[in-house]
Amino acid sequence: MPPPKLLSLAEAVRRYSWDGMQYASGAALPIGSDAVVFGRELLRQKRKNLHAIFHCNSQQLNLLAGVGAATKAECGFTGLEVFGFANGLRRAVESGELVLEDYSNLAMPLRLLGGALNWPFVPATVNIGSDLQDRSAFAPGEFPARSKIATITDPFSGRQIGAFRPLKPDLAAIHVTLADPLGNSIMLGTEWSRVELSRAAKRVVIVADAIVDAACIRQFPNLVRIPEIVVDAVVYWPFAAWPQSSPGMYDVDEEHMRAMNGALATCDGTRDYVRTFVEGYRDVESYLDMIGRDRLALLGKSRTAFLLDPYRKWIMPAAEIARMQADAETT
Amino acid sequence: MSATSPYTRQEMMAIATGREIRDGELAIFGVGLSMLAGFFAQAHHAPNLRAMTEGGVYGSTPVGGLPWGIECNRISTNATSFTSGLDALGCLVGSGRCDVGIIGAAQVDKYGNVNTTGIWDGEIGDAYRAPKTRLTGAGGANDIACGAKRFLIMVAHERKRFVEKVTYVSSPGYLEGGNARARYGFAGGGPSAIVTTMGVLRPDAETKEFQLDAWFAFSSIEEILANTGWSLKVSPHAHVVPEPTAAELAHLRKVDETGALRRQ
Repeated sequence: MPPPKLLSLAEAVRRYSWDGMQYASGAALPIGSDAVVFGRELLRQKRKNLHAIFHCNSQQLNLLAGVGAATKAECGFTGLEVFGFANGLRRAVESGELVLEDYSNLAMPLRLLGGALNWPFVPATVNIGSDLQDRSAFAPGEFPARSKIATITDPFSGRQIGAFRPLKPDLAAIHVTLADPLGNSIMLGTEWSRVELSRAAKRVVIVADAIVDAACIRQFPNLVRIPEIVVDAVVYWPFAAWPQSSPGMYDVDEEHMRAMNGALATCDGTRDYVRTFVEGYRDVESYLDMIGRDRLALLGKSRTAFLLDPYRKWIMPAAEIARMQADAETT
Repeated sequence: MSATSPYTRQEMMAIATGREIRDGELAIFGVGLSMLAGFFAQAHHAPNLRAMTEGGVYGSTPVGGLPWGIECNRISTNATSFTSGLDALGCLVGSGRCDVGIIGAAQVDKYGNVNTTGIWDGEIGDAYRAPKTRLTGAGGANDIACGAKRFLIMVAHERKRFVEKVTYVSSPGYLEGGNARARYGFAGGGPSAIVTTMGVLRPDAETKEFQLDAWFAFSSIEEILANTGWSLKVSPHAHVVPEPTAAELAHLRKVDETGALRRQ
């Protein structure tokens, strides 16, 4: 059996990220599952000039863009759903600090699928005929742009269709509900595009709300949509998606979603936010203290909590995870 | 809600949109108002509606009020299937299988083209430049506009939103009108109605230019013309939309438990 891949968050960011890299978030839309805490650590380690591949914006991209750490992004949706416009991202785009290339929410997983399958291009029957095709922020002088979504001929019907450029990000930090120490992962809630991304990215770091014993994985192999084969490291970090939600685990923190997005609307607000909520903890325990134990208890009382029931008996205690992590980090 | 009306303009818009949804259809709803309109239809007159979100959340009904997102725990708590964006937007929508979708708009033009990407000061010009005000982008709306058999556009009726030609086409309506969509071979048929806070616009069968089809009881042809930025034609069959019934309002307010449509 291969050795466990458990790493601390700080070590995973140190090993697998660098300035200027193409960094992808494995999320489930703006309100749900996302390794937001991985983005916080990228900032703690002063990563910059990131090229962000985000199927949808989330508070993670909102933060990375608001701080100025991401200078390029490719996205399908760039808001925060019912929480409104993403102020950090918006400010960065409007000021020209971040160049944002627009696609749709189907285009992004298709491009990831293309990367995963090592295809030269992916046929496009959506995004064509609109300004998603004709306008390119990465090639602003081209109009109509064709280096972004090319026009090709369907060899069978002879009609004109589009061609998407596949994506192979340098790194994907993928949030999951449960992972075993090797990285076999179970997601509760929509997978969104985490399956395609896990095969498209050159490196994959799993960030899990809980670590389960391998016996759990053997009980539900059909539900393991990300196998350890494609995983380089596993980070255990409870409430990793906060202030977003993780079905079965915790609800969205409505108050912090608003406060965070409010702060990211200005440079001063962003600076204060970073001081308090990015630099304001040392480890998992102080992170949880920062959010507030009472608030965590409240967020944990989710109507979706029953979704976790079949898996609870395999959730490993923090002390055991810490022991395995210490072993893994020294090898 | 005004003192004289027992319902808000937003509620009327949601009900009028919901009336466009038929029982048994396969439907996809976006976040916010469109989700309320869709689940209102399911609660009121379309019990066999098969509803999905673009996140791949199937078979669920929101609990506890308007979900914060299409994958929010409020809609993930009673799902029958969790799949993916590729499955929902690709296999079920882009493929042409989905009957109807509902999308929103920041700007809409006379051919039903939708802009949700940004607001520029004037035309973009030949070289692309960042918008003055960045909006939410296309999201799944472009895929719904290309793939759904028909789709509905929900938008607040304001002159600045109803323009001759949108600055940026995020999601295609009928493009330049007529059979322009045929150039791209889209699986979907295009927008069947624009439902606003004042009335309902529908496309002309040939030109595909949107015309005024009906106005809400609290509005009028004059108010709608004054709030439309192109020279809006009025259908010879234009009529007043029946007001919400007590049953419709009750069902809508049950879905809209947190009162999102009653805050004006």
